[in-house]
Amino acid sequence: MTTPRERILASIRGGLLRASLPADGDGRPGRHDDAPAAPAVREMAEQFTAALTALSGHVHRASGTESVADLIAGIARDRQAASCISWDDGPLGCAGLLAALASRGLTRVTYDVSGDPERRLLDAASLAGVGLGVTGAHAALADTGGLVLVSGPGRGRLVSVLPPVHVAVVEERRLRPSLAALLREEPDLLDAGSNVVIVAGPSRTADIEMTLTHGVHGPKHVHVILVA
Amino acid sequence: MTDAALAFHRRIDAALADVRLRQALALTTGRLAGGRTAAFAGLADSEACRDDARRARARAIARLDSSLDQFATAASARGCTIHWAETAADARQIISGIARERGIRLAVKSKSMATEEVELNEALEHAGVRVVETDLGEFVVQLGGDRPSHIITPIIHRSRQDVAALFREKLGATAEDVADIPAMTALARRVLRAEFLQAGMGISGVNLAVAETGSICIVTNEGNGRLTTTLPRVHVALLGLERLVPTAADLAAVLTVLARSATGQASSVYTNVITGPRRRSGGPGGPQAGDPDGPDELHIVILDNGRSRLLGTALSEILYCVRCGACLNACPVYRLVGGHAYGGVYPGPVGSVVMPGLHGVEAWAELAHASSLCGACRDVCPVKIDLPHLLLAVRREAAAKRLAPVWIRAAMPVYAAVATRPRLYRWAGRAAARLARVLQHDGWIRRLPGPLAAWTASRDFPAPAARSFVEEHQARKAAER
Amino acid sequence: MTPRPARIQLFATCLVDQFVPAAGHAAAEVLERCGVEVHVPPDQTCCGQPAFNAGFADDAAAMARATIDALSRSDDPVVVPSGSCADMIVNHYPELLAGDATYGPKAKALAARTYEFSQFLVDVLGVDLPAAPAGPTLAYHASCHGLRGLGLREQPRRLLRAVAGARCTDLPDAETCCGFGGLFAVKMGPLSGAMLDAKLDAIERSGADLVVATDVSCLMHIGGGLHRRASRVRTRHIAEVLAGPDHD
Repeated sequence: MTTPRERILASIRGGLLRASLPADGDGRPGRHDDAPAAPAVREMAEQFTAALTALSGHVHRASGTESVADLIAGIARDRQAASCISWDDGPLGCAGLLAALASRGLTRVTYDVSGDPERRLLDAASLAGVGLGVTGAHAALADTGGLVLVSGPGRGRLVSVLPPVHVAVVEERRLRPSLAALLREEPDLLDAGSNVVIVAGPSRTADIEMTLTHGVHGPKHVHVILVA
Repeated sequence: MTDAALAFHRRIDAALADVRLRQALALTTGRLAGGRTAAFAGLADSEACRDDARRARARAIARLDSSLDQFATAASARGCTIHWAETAADARQIISGIARERGIRLAVKSKSMATEEVELNEALEHAGVRVVETDLGEFVVQLGGDRPSHIITPIIHRSRQDVAALFREKLGATAEDVADIPAMTALARRVLRAEFLQAGMGISGVNLAVAETGSICIVTNEGNGRLTTTLPRVHVALLGLERLVPTAADLAAVLTVLARSATGQASSVYTNVITGPRRRSGGPGGPQAGDPDGPDELHIVILDNGRSRLLGTALSEILYCVRCGACLNACPVYRLVGGHAYGGVYPGPVGSVVMPGLHGVEAWAELAHASSLCGACRDVCPVKIDLPHLLLAVRREAAAKRLAPVWIRAAMPVYAAVATRPRLYRWAGRAAARLARVLQHDGWIRRLPGPLAAWTASRDFPAPAARSFVEEHQARKAAER
Repeated sequence: MTPRPARIQLFATCLVDQFVPAAGHAAAEVLERCGVEVHVPPDQTCCGQPAFNAGFADDAAAMARATIDALSRSDDPVVVPSGSCADMIVNHYPELLAGDATYGPKAKALAARTYEFSQFLVDVLGVDLPAAPAGPTLAYHASCHGLRGLGLREQPRRLLRAVAGARCTDLPDAETCCGFGGLFAVKMGPLSGAMLDAKLDAIERSGADLVVATDVSCLMHIGGGLHRRASRVRTRHIAEVLAGPDHD
């Protein structure tokens, strides 16, 4: 008595025997395994800034917790965000940032969507009024203006997708030329968290008459603070 | 002609007559195709990028049994529940079962052509689950009760006024809510946000699956892919069994060309790689709580539905397809008639191979004849599939099954018999020229007989020359001597 | 670059042979002016592409064998005033006859010495054609099979630029299919007609006097549409343009 798995795999094996596949599936790794030299941080910062700005994202430069906190508080004011959800201090990569934000009047809301469905629903709904999400980033990709966010303890996925504004604090030294380059350096990256997402700018659609609109389901505003 | 072929021709006629549709198609496909050209021009080594992407797909398909087995094992090891659906009915049953067992009443969906292919929504509704499409275009399709007309931008066939009318009728939207496109988008965001928060199940497709880690990659621009796969407690992902790449590096290679080919973006806004459901405590973060959010359960339903059988045919190369839609945007036929004319889930050049490949030439071969074999599709395919070659393979299978029109089946052996006998060919040419003299006026024929009248419906036909080139050339050479 | 051949075989193609012999005569004349002897194998007929495209592989193979026979009595290069027929021989004959122990190798050998007309002039002969005196304006349509099957992007344009200079420009959307597609023109008449309409509109926008292409198949289809519209625009095969005003 075979299982569906066995039958499907057997059917595939049978298919492969008869398949008219072009000759190039010969098992050689692709050229993407070659590693070109990495450009300087400054060049990558410029490239990243150009790419993200072209996508209607914003890039800021700062150094030190206080200036980062000032920037974020400023963005919160501009966007009329009184409260935020955020990653924990450690993952933000900016010591004491949460305290600095609190002292500037930005309330941090915590959430817990685990546990029973009723509790989960309530908590998720309470996030509706939160105007700002603050994350760190595992890396920033210069070629696409993308941020690599890895989920984990103190690193919620919802922080970068639920609120209408997303601010990410990234150390400059975490800039990489491309996803391919990052994976060459960290081949096990996909296993680092249940969710590894690359976010390149604000949420967008052009489904209606090819007219570009931002902020469909994800944030309408994305700010990246590059920290020296 | 078969009934299916006749119906296809009628849909084509209707589409050609739809002026508004033609304008919308010209706008959308022009923009997308132009975006693709610009995006590839921006790559330093675009041909090498396409080669890399092709190799990534080819390596997975060449050993698809072990790739898939590796994927399933790796995904299970990371906490996924793997299901194997041999048919569309199996997929429907499995997913309905998952919902029923958990008492799920509401499911949100991010865009998935595979779920359309297996007609999932209807089955879930029968099982008492309300299903809400969350991709803006698919949401409009769902409200309108029709089907997507393009695999990336589903509502080319809808004007903003159509969408406004639908929102007013189905969502009770006010005039202010539908005043302009940003307002309509904001309304959709509000309505769908509530659904995301309440849904017990999120259903997605899979753009690409990574065999070595059991990861699934879901790519969107709107963010609905992230919310669908994060908020509900249960995430179900429907994965076509051919959508694999071997390693993470291979994933990067395909991602380099995917969004560029689909919309001209260097990257989609959200490239969402999921490896297992949310992680519990006890991980590297220590004994405290694991992931603060994410689904408790991740079910991956591996779908066959004819793919393994297709693998064993002359059409197997079509399994490299990553569903970017570039071939649709480049195809002069698709650009004229749009997706609905093709009559199936997958339109355009890829659909003209996939539909007969998965569901048989008897019902679908005519799609492969709606092509001048110009090759524009092959030029833009990110994984360099030789689509014209595959279209010809469909035509060969159809001809072998005697599906060609009677007059062509009758004429073909006559034409071959004449063309393989040079003296008979010369005689036939002279005879045809004499016959045409009767039909022509001023060197042109305004009406050809029988099935050839389709030519003269829209253009004149030149009369054959009084004397063929070969005969004239021979005569001139003889005169010179 | 391959060494300059002294003699070539001209494979006229059935459409040139029966409908636009002037293109064949012009091609022969241009080649002779370039110092190449032109032989026209008398038993040539049709390359079999219509059968191949309709999915009738056996019929196409029969015609392929006959064509191979006609063109293999000598080893001289074969020049074809048609991108699609040259593409058929070069790219499809070997695959079509791959299972044939006798004709498989012959197909490969023929494919290796077959060229489309403009490809032969530029890539093999490396000719520099003289500029023609003032004449009609020309709009170039890039026939699909030659363009994408044989990579004929530069060669026809280069020749036309040399001869006609600024008088010759690309049609708007020059590389978009005209809608001929062989039997497609009849099987899918309305689609073919709609694609033709777009091409005819582009021709009108260009304001050119003549439409020029490497394939008479496209030109018969475009010309038929122009005539139906009572347009003053005429069609010319590239060989006719290169051969000069006597051929207008």
